[in-house]
Amino acid sequence: MPPKVPEPAQPLTPAMFHVLLALAGDDLHGYAILKEVALRTAGEVKLSTGTLYGIIKRLLNDGLIIERRERPSAHDDERRRYYRLTPKGREVAATEAERLEKVVALARSRHLLKRTQPA
Amino acid sequence: MTEPERRTTKRFRMLLHLLPAEFRGDFGLEMEQVFIDQRAEAAREGSKMGIWRLWWETAKGIFTTAPREHLSMLRQDSTFALRMMRKNLGFTIAAIIVLGLGIGANTAIFSIVNAVLLKPLPYAHGERLLMLRERLSRSAPAGRNVSVPEMLDYRRQNRSLDAIVEYHNMQFILLGRAEPEQVETGVVSWNFFDVFGAKPLFGRDFAPDDEREGAPAVLLLSYEFWLRSFGGDPTVVGKVFRMNDKPHTVIGVLPPFPQYPHENDVYMPSSACPFRSSSHMIGNRQMRMLRLFARMKPNVKPTEAEADLSTVAATMQKEFPNDYPDDAQPGVEATPLKAELTQEAKPTMLLLLAAAGFVLLIACANVANLNLARMVRRERELGVRTAMGASRIRLFRQLLTESSLLALIGGALGLLLADGSLQLLSAYVARFTPRAREVHIDVAVLLFTLAVAFFVRVLTGTAPAVARRENLITTLKEGGSQSTLGFVRGRLRSALIVAQVAVSFLLLIGAGLTVRSLINLQRVDPGFRPENVLTVQFSLDFTKYTSDQSQANFVESLLDKVQGLPGVMSAAVAGVFPLDKSPAQNGEFLIEGQQGNAAAKPTAEFNIVSPDYLKVLGIPLLGGRMLERRDREGAPRVAIINHSLAQHHWPRQNPLGRKILLNNGQLPVEIVGVIGDVREHSLDQPVTDLIYVPFAQFPNLGPSLMARTQGDPMAIARTVVQRLYEVDPNQPAGRIQSLEQYRADSIAAPRLTANLLGLFALLALAIAAAGIGGVMALAVSQRTHEIGVRMAIGARPAEIVRMILSQGMGLALVGVIIGVAAAFALTSAVKSFLFGVTPNDPATFLGVAAVLTAAALAACYLPARRAAQVDPLRALRTE
Repeated sequence: MPPKVPEPAQPLTPAMFHVLLALAGDDLHGYAILKEVALRTAGEVKLSTGTLYGIIKRLLNDGLIIERRERPSAHDDERRRYYRLTPKGREVAATEAERLEKVVALARSRHLLKRTQPA
Repeated sequence: MTEPERRTTKRFRMLLHLLPAEFRGDFGLEMEQVFIDQRAEAAREGSKMGIWRLWWETAKGIFTTAPREHLSMLRQDSTFALRMMRKNLGFTIAAIIVLGLGIGANTAIFSIVNAVLLKPLPYAHGERLLMLRERLSRSAPAGRNVSVPEMLDYRRQNRSLDAIVEYHNMQFILLGRAEPEQVETGVVSWNFFDVFGAKPLFGRDFAPDDEREGAPAVLLLSYEFWLRSFGGDPTVVGKVFRMNDKPHTVIGVLPPFPQYPHENDVYMPSSACPFRSSSHMIGNRQMRMLRLFARMKPNVKPTEAEADLSTVAATMQKEFPNDYPDDAQPGVEATPLKAELTQEAKPTMLLLLAAAGFVLLIACANVANLNLARMVRRERELGVRTAMGASRIRLFRQLLTESSLLALIGGALGLLLADGSLQLLSAYVARFTPRAREVHIDVAVLLFTLAVAFFVRVLTGTAPAVARRENLITTLKEGGSQSTLGFVRGRLRSALIVAQVAVSFLLLIGAGLTVRSLINLQRVDPGFRPENVLTVQFSLDFTKYTSDQSQANFVESLLDKVQGLPGVMSAAVAGVFPLDKSPAQNGEFLIEGQQGNAAAKPTAEFNIVSPDYLKVLGIPLLGGRMLERRDREGAPRVAIINHSLAQHHWPRQNPLGRKILLNNGQLPVEIVGVIGDVREHSLDQPVTDLIYVPFAQFPNLGPSLMARTQGDPMAIARTVVQRLYEVDPNQPAGRIQSLEQYRADSIAAPRLTANLLGLFALLALAIAAAGIGGVMALAVSQRTHEIGVRMAIGARPAEIVRMILSQGMGLALVGVIIGVAAAFALTSAVKSFLFGVTPNDPATFLGVAAVLTAAALAACYLPARRAAQVDPLRALRTE
């Protein structure tokens, strides 16, 4: 029997996946997540505050991220909250990445992608 | 924070308000910070465009997130609320039933009020339609019909109207089918239906040519008659039927619409009525047989039309002084058709709406109380949830969701109840207004129910929320089941109980007064014996029975045949019979030897009857003799009068042998008898002066046959109709009904009003009593410990019962006192519904107070008995 993969309560949207990816590197606050996502996708995915916090709320509820208790510095703005990927979140993100990888491989086998080698 | 930052924050916060409060509470500050950062970055890049784009993206994001968040919260809350409702199934069912009844009563009554009073008339430009009545002077009551020359003058000379159309009602006889059929016929102007905006379902409307003299006779069928007599067959259009002596072609079928002032079977143009088109009618200003309807020009007010037409009336008087009394100031009263159609129904509808509203208030107070009681039990759960981080807003929202669901389910139940009762209610309303057929549940009613449910949600949901202003820590310390009544909550619940009792008192008084009126009405001595009397209305074919002699002969043969029937004790004919709702035949007369004062001629109602009329109806003879067969054409003219007329004109004298003069003093008639007074038109109206003259001397076309029978009068109805056919096979009967039925119908409306009010009052009483019982039961369970202590130190069970009873009865009595005060202030509103009882009738007040107190006592007794059975040891141990 294959090992059970934790599933989020709701299917992962691309935007949610990007937030998880952003947090896979480091614990970040909201604004930093926005910046990170924009940077990593070369501006292709641009989240607004409303969308971002809708996603954060869902990820918190599903236990994929948590709020970090300790703050990086005492002078940091109190309103900022830092989020961290949970092990479950990491697993869900990895599963999603694998799923995407398989999809890409399939696309390649059908010659839908021009490059034969991954970059 | 810099000034631009402050402004940005302010605008951003406004946007945030689109999100659920809880979401805002969780992330609002953070989102604000992120946005300020984003904006600062955009500003650093120095492009105005960038800032605009940021705003646009942000607003878009919030606009798409907000509905999603609201929906997900609602889903969460509803799921939880449903779980809680299932857990407290008893409470849930009680609340839904109480609310369902309250909302159902309101929805049902509103659906009537909506159809009858609120909706525009189902005619095109219904708001511009008027009914016109002439009056002789400013102070005289309006109500005179109008003559043909007068109508033509109004038509020609008015400036405010688009059209004036005429109407009168006749009975024609439809022949050529299995049995002759008497058909109610509206005789109208060719453009009558055009003015009302009613287009035939099939066939065509009347055209101007149809009203020309000598035009081929045509008919429009009413929708109901078409369904009833022709089974809804559309091929009836074009068929030819004989009506009286002439063939008539059916040219169309009318759509269903409220017919006023009569429900007619067929309509024909005015030229088809031989009376209306006779030169006598057309040329004589004083032959007033028409009713007029008019459509105002756009933007004309009814008062303006009235003034305009009154000017025309004044001109007519100047031009034709001989046709109007010298001292007359003729005028016209123009009543908007909507008012005309609904004025009779309006007071009753509003009374019932108020009563239903009161029931709803009681229901809400009751459910709010149930909610409060449940809150006590849930206090610990809510406390724990608060401690675990659920925000205040979240809990408040949770409570409101629960009451919303209750209100919605209650509303749905109410809608079902209303729908179920609608058929009964529209039959009831039909007694007041021709608009009854429009009563049904439509969008307006659904919206009303929704609004009521929302109102219920606010009323029932707010109380617990208000009462939750208590400290979290006390709640946790107190623990669940033993939580004492908080001060605010206790007071609130007592107030709700008092309110329920007070409003119930009001409703019971309203019901009590109308029920007493009904009993009084039923006890009114009508002056005749209505039981075992069959009435058969018929209208002689006016084209055939043209002479007095032929009419008298017909009636004589018919009476001979009916009197000979087994089971018939006596039979008679009469122009009108008591309580049949036909208009009074009022007329002037003179008293021989008193002709001096011609201006103030005495008036009386006239009835034309055959000799046995008094015997059939059981009206007592007070003096002189009955009418007899010898009082026929050629014999000296005689009359009998009622007691009231004798008292008015011959107080302390003997009227027998005196003469009255009819036909403008031309026709002397001798008074040969005085009989008892009869309530001719309605049981609640005073007796009027009446003169009875013999049918044989004053024959006419429209008598009614009446027969006193040994058993059920309806059992011989068919046989009587056969006798009618034996006299003339083409002479149909009209309405056939027992006199007892007429009497029952005459009080059907007050009876139903009393029944509905009684139902509402009983509902209120039951809800209020259950409310008191529930509150006392909770109080007992909360005071178990205290009761245990009291019993442990020697209190006897009777004392405990007294203690609980006095607490409950105290509340009930305060409610009754407030109810009495409110009733004194409000019962004058029902004055017009009362008969033989004053609005502040002491007996009703005392009776209602007693009933309410007894109900409260019964409701308190169960919890009190339970309190007395508390085992002190167990009670003490539970602490």
